[in-house]
Amino acid sequence: MTGTMTEAAGAARGPAAGAVTREMSMQQAINAALRTVLEQDPDTLVFGEDVGALGGVFRVTDGLQRDFGAERVFDTPLAESAIVGMAVGLAMNGWRPIPELQFDGFAYPAVDQIVNQLARMHYRSRGAAPMPVTLRLPSFGGIQAPEHHGESLEALFAHVPGLKVCAPSDPQDAYRLLVQSVRCDDPVVYMEPKARYWERRPVDTAAGAGDMPVGRSRVLRPGRHATLVAWGAMVHRCLQAAEYAAEDGVELEVVDLRWLKPIDAEGLAASVSRTRRAVVVHEAPLTAGLGAEVGSLVTERAFGALAAPVERVAGFDVPYPAGPLEPQYLPTIDRILSAVQRTLEYERP
Amino acid sequence: MTETTERTFTLPDLGEGLVEATVLEWLAAPGDAIERNAPLVELETTKSAVEIPSPHGGTVARLHAAEGEVVQVGAPLVTFVVEVPAGEGGAGAQSGIVGRVPTEEEPPRRRVRLRPPEE
Repeated sequence: MTGTMTEAAGAARGPAAGAVTREMSMQQAINAALRTVLEQDPDTLVFGEDVGALGGVFRVTDGLQRDFGAERVFDTPLAESAIVGMAVGLAMNGWRPIPELQFDGFAYPAVDQIVNQLARMHYRSRGAAPMPVTLRLPSFGGIQAPEHHGESLEALFAHVPGLKVCAPSDPQDAYRLLVQSVRCDDPVVYMEPKARYWERRPVDTAAGAGDMPVGRSRVLRPGRHATLVAWGAMVHRCLQAAEYAAEDGVELEVVDLRWLKPIDAEGLAASVSRTRRAVVVHEAPLTAGLGAEVGSLVTERAFGALAAPVERVAGFDVPYPAGPLEPQYLPTIDRILSAVQRTLEYERP
Repeated sequence: MTETTERTFTLPDLGEGLVEATVLEWLAAPGDAIERNAPLVELETTKSAVEIPSPHGGTVARLHAAEGEVVQVGAPLVTFVVEVPAGEGGAGAQSGIVGRVPTEEEPPRRRVRLRPPEE
């Protein structure tokens, strides 16, 4: 998983004027990151359904049109294919577009533009037309929203050559990953965990993109008995599971993958080499989900260290259910702990 | 460290590009204390009647439309007085308009207990 990583193009640029650490929700942190790039890079454009006058259905783009003008922050027709197609054309003409698709499930109408144009224009043009596009995609479930508002498309996009994919799990990383995505010269699908939008944490807007390169994971909680691997909203659930496990004397390490393409195979291997067991947790359906990729990478790189097969705790192979059934669909603490227990008591045949 | 501030809830797009809705019945009155996600108002669009949950916990200050009145999407519907952290406001301070705000940090229950591996 190396060789194609493009480092942040403008990492040397400084923080936004007046940057301070203050408590923010993830919505506010993403808003702050958009302000940072809009201030520092005159080529950036923010557009999508209701991102302008309304400020976004989740208030993420609140005030941006007022402060940066309707030429740089603007509403589009309700046509996702046109939104991404517009981003491709703007990127070909030197802009750095940051389009929003309002919800995960509404990315499907844009898949033709994403796969056939956005992802391969750089390749097709033999390097003449880079696509520095950051596609913001409010993603995953957990807010009991209607159909098309709770889907996990990371495996779909990670499978497409030419795209990078990331998903933050907390406000600080939402800020950092968005700035980094915008400054990356490759197209990045930036998946926002809706269920964590309201979480408030201190955010340092002077941190910029930080010193973590594209594709780097992070260990959020060290432990020695097993590694939980997650991204987006499931990171929080894994941290809760680790708290419970600690009550029983089981120390779980929690790895926030952050980048879903490229995946930090070395970081995963380093963690699992210490803990000897791994459980991947994701909201997406099990079959051909990204957990399979994680399991394979871990097995390739840490086979000798593994004391048990890599376990997967995932959504079920059904369409994402209606709101009241969400708690039954999403990985629960008990399902995560049961998988951990299976790795703890596994005996080689 | 909290202060009170006003939050005005504007009529969200309740469906695929609908432009207006009719207020059928207010389920809260000015002066009422209301919990976040509690029933607030029943609206009727050209598609259906829908009950809107309160996007805030706080006190209902003003209703901007009478029952039977037609409200445009984006127009003020109701103003709340809410408590916010001192010095706070602006982006993200208001909740979303699609789906529910997850309940605050209540850790989910567990039933499974673990047995540590033998060292």
